[in-house]
Amino acid sequence: MRRNWMFWGGVVFLSLLVLFAVFGPYMRHAWNAPVGTARMGPSADFWLGTDEQGRDVFARLAYGARLSLTIGITVQIIAVVVGVIVGVLGVYGPRWVSSPLMRLTDGMFAFPDLLLAIMLVGLFGMGIKPIVASLAIAAWPSVARLVRTQVASLKDREFVVAAQAMGASTPYLVVKHILPHLAGVLMAVMMVDVAATILSESTLSFLGIGVQLPEASWGSMIQTGNSYKQNQPLLLLWPCLMLSLTVFALNFVGDGLRAMTDPKGSETR
Amino acid sequence: MLLRLFYGLVSLVFISLVTFLADEIAPGDAATAVAGEKATQAQVERLRTQMGLDRPWPIRYVEFVGHAVKFDFGESYFGTKEPVNTILGRALPMTMTLAGSAIVLAAILGISLGTVAAVWQNKPPDRIALTMSTLGVTVPNFVLAPILVYIFAVRMDKLPTTWEVNRVAPDFFYLILPVVVLSARPAASLTRLTRASMVDTLSQEFIRLAVAKGVPPWQIYLKHALRNAILPVLTSIGTSFGYLLTGSFVVETIFTMPGLGHAAIDAILKGDTPLILASTLVSGALFVLVNLLVDMVLPMIDPRIRESQI
Repeated sequence: MRRNWMFWGGVVFLSLLVLFAVFGPYMRHAWNAPVGTARMGPSADFWLGTDEQGRDVFARLAYGARLSLTIGITVQIIAVVVGVIVGVLGVYGPRWVSSPLMRLTDGMFAFPDLLLAIMLVGLFGMGIKPIVASLAIAAWPSVARLVRTQVASLKDREFVVAAQAMGASTPYLVVKHILPHLAGVLMAVMMVDVAATILSESTLSFLGIGVQLPEASWGSMIQTGNSYKQNQPLLLLWPCLMLSLTVFALNFVGDGLRAMTDPKGSETR
Repeated sequence: MLLRLFYGLVSLVFISLVTFLADEIAPGDAATAVAGEKATQAQVERLRTQMGLDRPWPIRYVEFVGHAVKFDFGESYFGTKEPVNTILGRALPMTMTLAGSAIVLAAILGISLGTVAAVWQNKPPDRIALTMSTLGVTVPNFVLAPILVYIFAVRMDKLPTTWEVNRVAPDFFYLILPVVVLSARPAASLTRLTRASMVDTLSQEFIRLAVAKGVPPWQIYLKHALRNAILPVLTSIGTSFGYLLTGSFVVETIFTMPGLGHAAIDAILKGDTPLILASTLVSGALFVLVNLLVDMVLPMIDPRIRESQI
């Protein structure tokens, strides 16, 4: 019951967030240019006030939402596509393909957390494209590992063996019988991983090595807000709130999806 | 044990190889950086031959590793062209203090909160611990830090806001907020893990036997259950160290502490490649070593692992 409430809360929040990301940046003011005096408080014209350059905070928050969601989803789509291919090849591929691929996947875990992404951004430059590439490179191994264990456990199930006995080719078997079984788990994992990616992107932007100004990212908004926290804590509060709520919502929806697709797993958690 | 050492070595080789290849693929090389912006194409080419950059990459990779094991990472591109290992030597103690204190705090908090949650399963203490750990896992450190600074430094004026060169109070006071911020997430995940592991152990038969024998409850929880439940928790301390390394990048930036993360971010902003590569290598190596250490310590605590390895 409680889980349900959290799941639907998350779904409602995320739907509103998508609307906000699509329409918000142009609802009242431009997001990328000064439209008023610097650091004004909330008013009827500027609902959430203006930032240190006189840009509309509401519009920038909305643009940040757009950026976070786009980067989060793009990175995860790349990670899932690469992860599924590598994971399936790890089980069904010929030995000379599967063995090095799985070693590579395991090897990627030698890098702690964000370190690989930070290094790649450092070497290849900052901006949206290098960030998406770096985060995707850091994100696919965990998907590949998950897919591999799942596929390996499905491989010997009766329905797969039966299909094989009826003469199904391996590609047909994978696409028609195995991948549909993974869809639920992958959806749940993707939700949680989109949250993790959004956090990583914000972290990079917060450190100043991510999305560069005048682009608006929640991470860089938190960074600039941090220097004005003594006089204008609201400037810091809004992006913090948006980021935290988004991460919460994605995690709740992910947990809810996992509970729906895998009832056994949800009880032991 | 030998096998574990071998895997550790393979991880180190892998980290160095990826780091080296990433630098190979990335635009620009050492010759262009050293020659400066005004250099002509011919000058850069000559420098490239001089520095041996025209040789095939496997040879240069071996050379790179050869230098790295001697802690020779070349010189910084900027400023006084300081050797990179001097910069790292200056920065590492700060990061190790931060990460070390944070892991100790996280372990103490996580294990005790997790035990409390498991003992009072589904009762208010458990709910509170779970809510706190959910918050700790999801709220990012760079959101938590400004909030804590605002409350304890700006509003209450009890703690310093940033690390300063001229510190008026003992270092301890300057470390409190950074360490608390850094330990929040590992503490939260250790809480969850301890709780799950304890709940699992408490449902086993030897616990029921102990209860039937009339062993006092606190003894059951602390002596019988926790000793068995703590192993997966200890293993995950090694993995959370990875988070502490990159987490200290953020914490050092927020509190302007001159550590490894601060140096690395500075290097990235300037484009100081030798320092970027060196800090990646050092962080990666630390991560591998800490995990190796955890795996070495575990058999000492648990005789079951010791026997399975013989």
